[in-house]
Amino acid sequence: MATNQGTGEWYGTDEAVSRVRGQAFKTLCLGATLLALLAVFVLLLYVANDAFRPLSADIGWLLSFAATVVLPVLAAVGYYYTRDTKAGETATIALGLPVICLLLAGGVFITFEHIVSVYQWLSILVSLGIAAAIVAAHNRVRADADLERFAVIVGVPALLLWYVPDVILSLPVLPTQSLALLGSFAVPIALATGWFVRRQRESDRDGAIAAAVTIVGAAAGLGVAPVVGLSPFVWMLLVTITGVPVGLYVESVFRRGAGVSGLAFPVLVGGGILMGVVITNALGFTGPNPWLDWGFLTSSPSRTPEDAGFYPPLVGSVMMLLVIVVSAFPVGVGAAIYLEEYAPKRGLLGRVVDLIEVNIGNLAGVPSVVYGVLGLALFIRWGGLGSGTALVGGFTIGLLILPIVIISSQEAIRAVPDSMRQASYGMGATKWQTTRNVVLPEALPGIMTGNILAMGRAIGETAPLLIIGAPAVVRIAPASFTNKFSAMPRQIYTWSSEIDVAFRHGVLAAGVVTLLVVLLLMNGAAIIIRNKYQRRD
Amino acid sequence: MTHDSMTDSDSGTDTQATDGGRESLASNDLEGSDPTTEPLVDSSIDVDGRSDAPASADRTVIESNDLDVYYDDVQALQSIDIEIPAEKVTAIIGPSGCGKSTFLRCINRMNDLVDAARIDGELLFEGKNVYDDDVDPVVLRRKIGMVFQAPNPFPKSIYDNVAYGLEVQGIEGDYDEIVEEALRRAALWDEVKDQLDSSGLDLSGGQQQRLCIARAIAPDPDVILMDEPASALDPVATSKIEDLIEDLAEEYTVIIVTHNMQQAARISDKTAVFLTGGELVEFDDTNKIFENPEHDRVEDYITGKFG
Ligand SMILES: Nc1ncnc2c1ncn2[C@@H]1O[C@H](COP(=O)(O)OP(=O)(O)O)[C@@H](O)[C@H]1O
Ligand SMILES: [Mg+2]
Repeated sequence: MATNQGTGEWYGTDEAVSRVRGQAFKTLCLGATLLALLAVFVLLLYVANDAFRPLSADIGWLLSFAATVVLPVLAAVGYYYTRDTKAGETATIALGLPVICLLLAGGVFITFEHIVSVYQWLSILVSLGIAAAIVAAHNRVRADADLERFAVIVGVPALLLWYVPDVILSLPVLPTQSLALLGSFAVPIALATGWFVRRQRESDRDGAIAAAVTIVGAAAGLGVAPVVGLSPFVWMLLVTITGVPVGLYVESVFRRGAGVSGLAFPVLVGGGILMGVVITNALGFTGPNPWLDWGFLTSSPSRTPEDAGFYPPLVGSVMMLLVIVVSAFPVGVGAAIYLEEYAPKRGLLGRVVDLIEVNIGNLAGVPSVVYGVLGLALFIRWGGLGSGTALVGGFTIGLLILPIVIISSQEAIRAVPDSMRQASYGMGATKWQTTRNVVLPEALPGIMTGNILAMGRAIGETAPLLIIGAPAVVRIAPASFTNKFSAMPRQIYTWSSEIDVAFRHGVLAAGVVTLLVVLLLMNGAAIIIRNKYQRRD
Repeated sequence: MTHDSMTDSDSGTDTQATDGGRESLASNDLEGSDPTTEPLVDSSIDVDGRSDAPASADRTVIESNDLDVYYDDVQALQSIDIEIPAEKVTAIIGPSGCGKSTFLRCINRMNDLVDAARIDGELLFEGKNVYDDDVDPVVLRRKIGMVFQAPNPFPKSIYDNVAYGLEVQGIEGDYDEIVEEALRRAALWDEVKDQLDSSGLDLSGGQQQRLCIARAIAPDPDVILMDEPASALDPVATSKIEDLIEDLAEEYTVIIVTHNMQQAARISDKTAVFLTGGELVEFDDTNKIFENPEHDRVEDYITGKFG
């Protein structure tokens, strides 16, 4: 190949190819990356400093916590990182899981406290149980009537959900709230736990034990909870939502026997904090006076910055997300399935579909204020819904994230390899069977990831809320979806225009950090789902 | 020097772009002379004794009359006439892009899924034209199983993979038993009997392909179509699949597309040779094709002197 070249050295400095431009380009790209990261990082640090005010603490306080928490944690992280990465993984999950579960328990608490009462939940569950029984019976009696079955599957639950809850709620005697929760919440979770353990360990006995332990643990709250100063209701939520997953995880770590030492990490952190508290109390050091504390999360907005809280907007945001989950997600995922699996790809209609898809992309770029105006016109003026309610807020912002939901779901569905559809059709499956059994299960993690990321977008939207008339301040958490509500960003916006500096610097920062933490948790969940279910090839 | 290496890599891509693409038509003359795509088969090939019985007395399951297939305006198959006997292995060989897969996909109407495809002529299965209006392709595919070139198990457990056909076809019965039987016949049972709950994707390539075969035979179809089932596998896995195909032929009609002429010679009773342009040039008993083909083009193709 190179024989036509003259002889002579082909190596040495003279023969090297210049890489100056490449190096310069690489440096520029690195600079851009660093600048972006730095800008965001500085902003976060600034806000976090305002929210927590660590420097308002005694030096002694900071030092003792550094000694009891920060140093041991750094040492442990160093150990896990260099010596035992397996245990490091365990440590991350062992610390993260309880935190996430506790937050989830908080979310469920808010839900039961403000959105569906325990009795409503019980009655919904009973109606669905009856509906399932009817559907199953119909299935057995008339096995071939496909269309009729479809009508039954859709119609019966809807009818029952419409009528039965009211009947149940109007019963003269109802079980106490704790008993109702035990039956409608702890029992299903115990059953699920038992089923899960049975499948994992392939042993009926273990499954039964797991279910029984869950039930007993939850029921113990009826007696024990008042003693430790919790309501039985909270105890039950803690046992089912935090205790069960953590217990299952710890058990699985011991069973697999890999990285067991990672379980020490949360103990180390918890113990360190406890010790720090004891030491600082004994020595009389005063801690920082953060804006973001328990009181901030659980009390209502107030005229005085010290009393100001974030609870009603927090509840409002949760309600809005619920509306979005039940309205925008089914519509968006349905549209994505149609566009990917059923829509014509060729001919004139195919061209129309292409046009629609391009315009869905365009809709994703429409400014959020415009969606606010659309929501105002569509839902309030035309649809006659009350302004500034969680329902309208959820619908409007749902509309806003709809294009994102559609596009990301489409991508997830498109990522299912065609060879899998072919395999299914080749087995004599119909299109519906293929979509339901092969395409959707395979695309589901991707769809969920996209939807959670879209939720992250939704939770931070402000402008549409201003336009649909969400009030500047809501002092009590909304009791229903048709009450006036406020959401986290809306409240932050209100604080940003307060005259008092303490609002603009302290309370606002606390709100921002809360919002960001929720956002980061959601994005983290999305990433975990994505990594866990990513195809391994 | 740069110029030299440019042309070199260019021609490299040319010879590689042989599979399935339209450009393969243009590069066909390179193919026969490229030692990596086809093994050189000399005429002293070892044909086993399975095909000794007179094949003409067999019952025909699949028959095509004057079958043309077009992808948009490009004709992929030209007037194919063939009669495929029951309970025999029929091999389809030919250079890349000559329409082997297209023909296979016509049989179970998988071409319906390709928007561009258009079919003229008749293709009879048990005497019924499968392209008649009163034929439901889904029902047809339940009678004709298919194994694809690349192993494509579902991301489900091994058990669920094999039971998939039973479920979608609404077949009643003891699934445990049927699954075990199918896995045994696919010579996979001993390797996976302890891990039926683990994912089918965790198996090796050869095992995955046998899993796909088990999946195809579990609902007990009449015909099994295989599109180069061993082309992505190593020699050991390939020979396992070949043994398996010979066994399957005792009960099923097997139609196998292959790139590998030794394979066709070893396992098939009848061989169809497709050549460029989508013609069926010769269809006869396998030993006849490999020892004394009627057409010079077939002989050239088989001996590697394609041109
Ligand atoms: N889905 C398709 N769309 C358009 N053309 C196709 C399609 N599938 C195959 N073809 C064309 O049909 C011809 C035959 O292809 P194929 O049946 O895959 O050949 P083989 O399996 O023998 O390699 C090729 O020219 C190929 O380009
Ligand atoms: Mg092919």
